[in-house]
Amino acid sequence: MEAASIPHPAAHAEHEHHGPPAANRSSRVEPQLLGMLLFIISEIMVFGAFFTAYFFIRIANGDPWPAHGTTLPVGVAGMNTAILVSSSFTIHWAEQAIKKGNHLGLKAGMLTTFLLGCSFLFIQINEYANIGFAPQDAAQQTIFYSLTGLHGAHVFIGLLLLLFVTIRAFRGHYSPEEHRGVEVPGIYWHFVDVMWLVVYTTVYIL
Amino acid sequence: MAARFRAPGFYRAALMMLGGVLFATALTWIVRMATGHATFHHYLSPDAILTVSLIAVPLAFLVGIGGFDYWFYWAAGRATRPEDHSSHGASSWKDYFRINTDHKVIGVQYTVNSFFFLLVGGLIAMLMRAQLAQPGSHFVDGNTFNGLFSVHASLLIFLFIIPVFAGLGNFVIPLMIGAPDMAFPRLNALSFWLLPVAGLMMLGSFFAPGGAFADGWTAYAPLSVNAPIGQTFFALGVQFAGASSIMTALNFLVTIITMRAPGMSFFRMPLLVWANFATSLLVVIATPFIAASQFFVLLDRALGFNFFNAAKGGDVLMYQHVFWFYSHPAVYIMMLPGFGIISEVIAVKARKPIFGYRMMAFSLLAIVGLGFTVWAHHMFTSGMAAWIRIPMAITTAVIAVPTGIKIFSWLATLWRGVLHLDTAMLFALGFLTTFTLGGISGVMLAMVPFDIHVSATYFIVAHIHYVLFGGSLMTIYAGVYYWFPKMTGRMYDERLGKWHFWTTFVFFNLTFGPMHILGLQGMPRRVSTYASQFADLNLFISIASFGLGLSTLLFIYNIITSWRGGPRAVGNPWRALTLEWQVSSPPPVFNFDRVPTVVGGPYEYGVPGAVHGIFAPAPSPTVADAGAGVVHAPSQ
Repeated sequence: MEAASIPHPAAHAEHEHHGPPAANRSSRVEPQLLGMLLFIISEIMVFGAFFTAYFFIRIANGDPWPAHGTTLPVGVAGMNTAILVSSSFTIHWAEQAIKKGNHLGLKAGMLTTFLLGCSFLFIQINEYANIGFAPQDAAQQTIFYSLTGLHGAHVFIGLLLLLFVTIRAFRGHYSPEEHRGVEVPGIYWHFVDVMWLVVYTTVYIL
Repeated sequence: MAARFRAPGFYRAALMMLGGVLFATALTWIVRMATGHATFHHYLSPDAILTVSLIAVPLAFLVGIGGFDYWFYWAAGRATRPEDHSSHGASSWKDYFRINTDHKVIGVQYTVNSFFFLLVGGLIAMLMRAQLAQPGSHFVDGNTFNGLFSVHASLLIFLFIIPVFAGLGNFVIPLMIGAPDMAFPRLNALSFWLLPVAGLMMLGSFFAPGGAFADGWTAYAPLSVNAPIGQTFFALGVQFAGASSIMTALNFLVTIITMRAPGMSFFRMPLLVWANFATSLLVVIATPFIAASQFFVLLDRALGFNFFNAAKGGDVLMYQHVFWFYSHPAVYIMMLPGFGIISEVIAVKARKPIFGYRMMAFSLLAIVGLGFTVWAHHMFTSGMAAWIRIPMAITTAVIAVPTGIKIFSWLATLWRGVLHLDTAMLFALGFLTTFTLGGISGVMLAMVPFDIHVSATYFIVAHIHYVLFGGSLMTIYAGVYYWFPKMTGRMYDERLGKWHFWTTFVFFNLTFGPMHILGLQGMPRRVSTYASQFADLNLFISIASFGLGLSTLLFIYNIITSWRGGPRAVGNPWRALTLEWQVSSPPPVFNFDRVPTVVGGPYEYGVPGAVHGIFAPAPSPTVADAGAGVVHAPSQ
């Protein structure tokens, strides 16, 4: 990937060590971008498997949802949804900023996105603490915790990526020519957001 | 000494693994204290520590061996450092035990590692046949026997067939498409090191309290939820093997899409590249399902979740749906790369263009699509809604069509060809025979009444070994013999190779052929003993299977002695057109001094003036004119 497209300084070390020739680029798509998109297909299928479990437990078995004596905090989770969705816009803003060479915009955008993501996760954990049932209670509770927890794990991974990107932004690493490092984690973050909309709709609203 | 523990390698890995155990102990202690295990006695639970260790220790090993070094470096906020390829090539055998980003080194690592697990899995099979030689024997006890067949299947599926194809592909694909390396070399290195981890976990389960996981490679819930701790070794080992598959598949897809040589359109790609492209699509889409199915089991086991607890609304049938939604496409993951190998071997050794090249490529894609529509044919007797059987039986019969297209295309390629019956070709022809037999019993099994009759009998054992041994393993042998000169720079012993083929082919059929009869007579699979009426055939099968095991020794002996001291191989011993044969054997460290240009199809054998790839005039003598098929001196 990277290596192949980097021209080697021909002047030195021609005899002891020279790299391979640059690979031909047979597609307009960036390798990193394509790799992330394919990885997201895999991620969608992980969620697909969890939704299969959800389908069997909620629909095939036909028990009431949410289970007797439990309520789901639709409003709080809705607020949380708004927070996560807005973070998708702020990271988009950060990407647009660095494409124009606006480093301050990049830093502000990344930091805001990171903090919004953190508050989403914090509210989610708080919801777990106060929701009044546990995954060990019955299958419906199990699938509630599994789907939201799987998504929470993805938010956590996404936040780690965002943290690294934010640190790099503050160290001045990106430029209008070289901003793949923001773009590729950005796609992952958008995926995490869209997946939450699906999880929220199926688990809380429907 | 301290430097040894800082540099990536086994010393640092050992240290990290120790840290992993301590971490697991501390974590479970703290969590159990915090969550209401009131007495001190309960603070430390061996099962909990073992479960967390099984996640933490392999990860610690990978950190120690250096798999994540670059990403840590990146995460620390330093400037990106393109892979500089400085670690390419291997000068001694020790280099194969290090993190290496060279796709050729990784290809050899993959292949040798996979064959190690083939031998282990084969030895386990020998133990099973020893137990089954007579009814009521006590060579091993029942629980051990269950562990043996479970580990046998898991090792051979997850640690042999799937990764050995990835290994051959790793070595050959970048060369075939004219690329200097894979798209993500560091990811490639990491994906290899996940495999020995997964394999040792599955083998290690024999030492777990309560014995190895003993409910088959399918690990059906709720049996797997209540099984002893050995089951956790399987559930987590599969995660590591699956992660490795997905990483390699991503790498293959990105490499094939973005790094082909100029002029190599999709319909000028060798069929092995097509086959790995199709397989990688299957891996990326399907593998997450088995990961999830084992997550469910793990959560039920370790944290008391209720996915499969029917008393609390769980659904055990869901396990089978999720599991087979991966594991049926997985049989194509285990077969399509073999189709690619056979296409290469047959076209080259019959000296003819492959018949129906485009149909060969399209039928691969058809199998990818149809492969996702047939999973419930594994569940005809599971108690699912009966109407699902009919559409699944139909799609299962339909998927035989693209496979049949391939079989007939190979036969048409052979028609009036000039057959060179060397070892690789013999294995290719042997594959055509045995795989067709396995395919026919597969269509029989698609028929619902017949499937119900032979479900969970030795007929199933016979069928799966005809497609996975007679199918996949034959193609793997063909591929290993075919690319052995390219991978090692040495020629193998042709006479021993032919002996290997004929002993394998004969003993294979003697071993697995009679199992069809046993199955039809009703002998159940997965049991350590049987009724005395089956005794004669079982004794016969056991003796034949020992012959099959011994035939593998011929292969091992041939490979080891040829690798050490075989005659040097020329660059293109088979007079093949594809690009990997146009460089020296073994290939130069950076594959090509100049990226070749592709001007024609890959299989134009016997077509006057046909050219596949050309190299611009280059300074190095190792680059030859591809189209003329010039056989040139090795680089040494």
